[in-house]
Amino acid sequence: MNHWAFVAAGYLIVFVGIAAYAAWVLTRGRALSGEVPEERRRFLD
Amino acid sequence: MTSTSSKATYVVGWAAIVGLALSLLFALVLSPPEVNMGDSVRLLYVHLPTIAVSYLGYGITFLGSVIYLRNQSPFWDLLAGAAAEIGVLFTAFVLVTGAIWGKPTWGTYWEWDPRLTATTVMFIMYLGYLAIRRMDLPQEVRSRRAAVVGIIAIANLIIVRYSVQWWRGLHQGQTLGVDTQLDGLMLFSLFLSVVAFLLLGAWLLIHRFRVAWLERQVEDMRLARALSERRGEAGGAALGGVVS
Amino acid sequence: MTDLDLTPRDVPTGGSGSLRNWLIVGALAVVAAFVLFQALTSARVYFLNVDEAVAQRADLGDDTFNMQGTVISEPMSTGEAMVFTMTFGGENAEIRHIGAEPTDLFKVGEQVVAKGHWDGTEFVSNQLLVKHSEEYVEDNPDRLDYELDDNGNPVHSSEPTDGTTSDGSDDAGQ
Repeated sequence: MNHWAFVAAGYLIVFVGIAAYAAWVLTRGRALSGEVPEERRRFLD
Repeated sequence: MTSTSSKATYVVGWAAIVGLALSLLFALVLSPPEVNMGDSVRLLYVHLPTIAVSYLGYGITFLGSVIYLRNQSPFWDLLAGAAAEIGVLFTAFVLVTGAIWGKPTWGTYWEWDPRLTATTVMFIMYLGYLAIRRMDLPQEVRSRRAAVVGIIAIANLIIVRYSVQWWRGLHQGQTLGVDTQLDGLMLFSLFLSVVAFLLLGAWLLIHRFRVAWLERQVEDMRLARALSERRGEAGGAALGGVVS
Repeated sequence: MTDLDLTPRDVPTGGSGSLRNWLIVGALAVVAAFVLFQALTSARVYFLNVDEAVAQRADLGDDTFNMQGTVISEPMSTGEAMVFTMTFGGENAEIRHIGAEPTDLFKVGEQVVAKGHWDGTEFVSNQLLVKHSEEYVEDNPDRLDYELDDNGNPVHSSEPTDGTTSDGSDDAGQ
């Protein structure tokens, strides 16, 4: 049996999933940055 | 500074990209097929690293929850939440890659095997943790309840870890244990993938934490605005039509 | 003259938001209950090694359970069934498997889990899954060149030969 289809499916789901999540986090970060005044944008202890 | 990027995320991000490219090369091209599993063994190099990221995430959630309950620091509260979200995402990947791997090797996508069941329970419990963080409750109540669940849920890691020893099932034992045998390039490919995925997890965590921080600022600002508007109404109502 | 906006501000009030809260809690509870139910019902299906299954044969009757063991005979096809012998803990069992074929990992020497029931001294299986150990062995195309000793028995050392590699390649050290 050829296993490459399973291998491809596994890697594709994981990498597409990570890319989608990363894109969501980055765009949300950009959008929210605009709403928050400069001095409150980063956590600074 | 209109994004969540910084020098640190650039360094970690590029290290993760280079690491992932290299690990793909080893996982899919350079490492050999396994004598029984054939090429499906290559799923090991994505299956195991994703659970490593999950464990790290849940570990940080536990630590953050403990510290938050002691000192009510928003940093640890938000870090715990960000880490749990990444943990849940990667647990989903573990379940999916495991199912895909199970079909050509075991002969089934799913079996209510102890480790598979324990991992599913862990996934649902941390989904519950994330749900608590999104509940419509006063912020401190939400954070405190989440922290309690974040501490209790760590038991799942122990159950998942030992599930292959406590109960009989289909899943193989510890891959990185004392009895392990992983031939040369396979071991190296696995090591490389774990390192690359942990770097990726760290990069995601920094960004996700910063987004959580921004979300908290927006929430606080909205609350402050709502309060001042209420006060304004109380005063302004007396003026009636004059304000128009 | 403009009216004052008296609609509630989106501060937590326990209004429409609490419906969402209950929906979230409800959905998770349903999923958790399903998983728990599945896990508990499947945990009631015994998971026995061959020796235990043989010892408890009388008690088991025709109950369905999982039997684990190592394949020791080449499977033979008899019509729609596949017949082979499994062993564990010094006891053997004849398996008659009727159902989907196992994966190509199924072979002599591998651990398998058969789900089925006793039928006399024979075990009738309708699900045959292959267990994989935590040993991952490289599938080296020329492994037989150096892994068999003079008697044809497998050996696990890859001692260098007298400095020259028989196949002319220099990747023996990988």
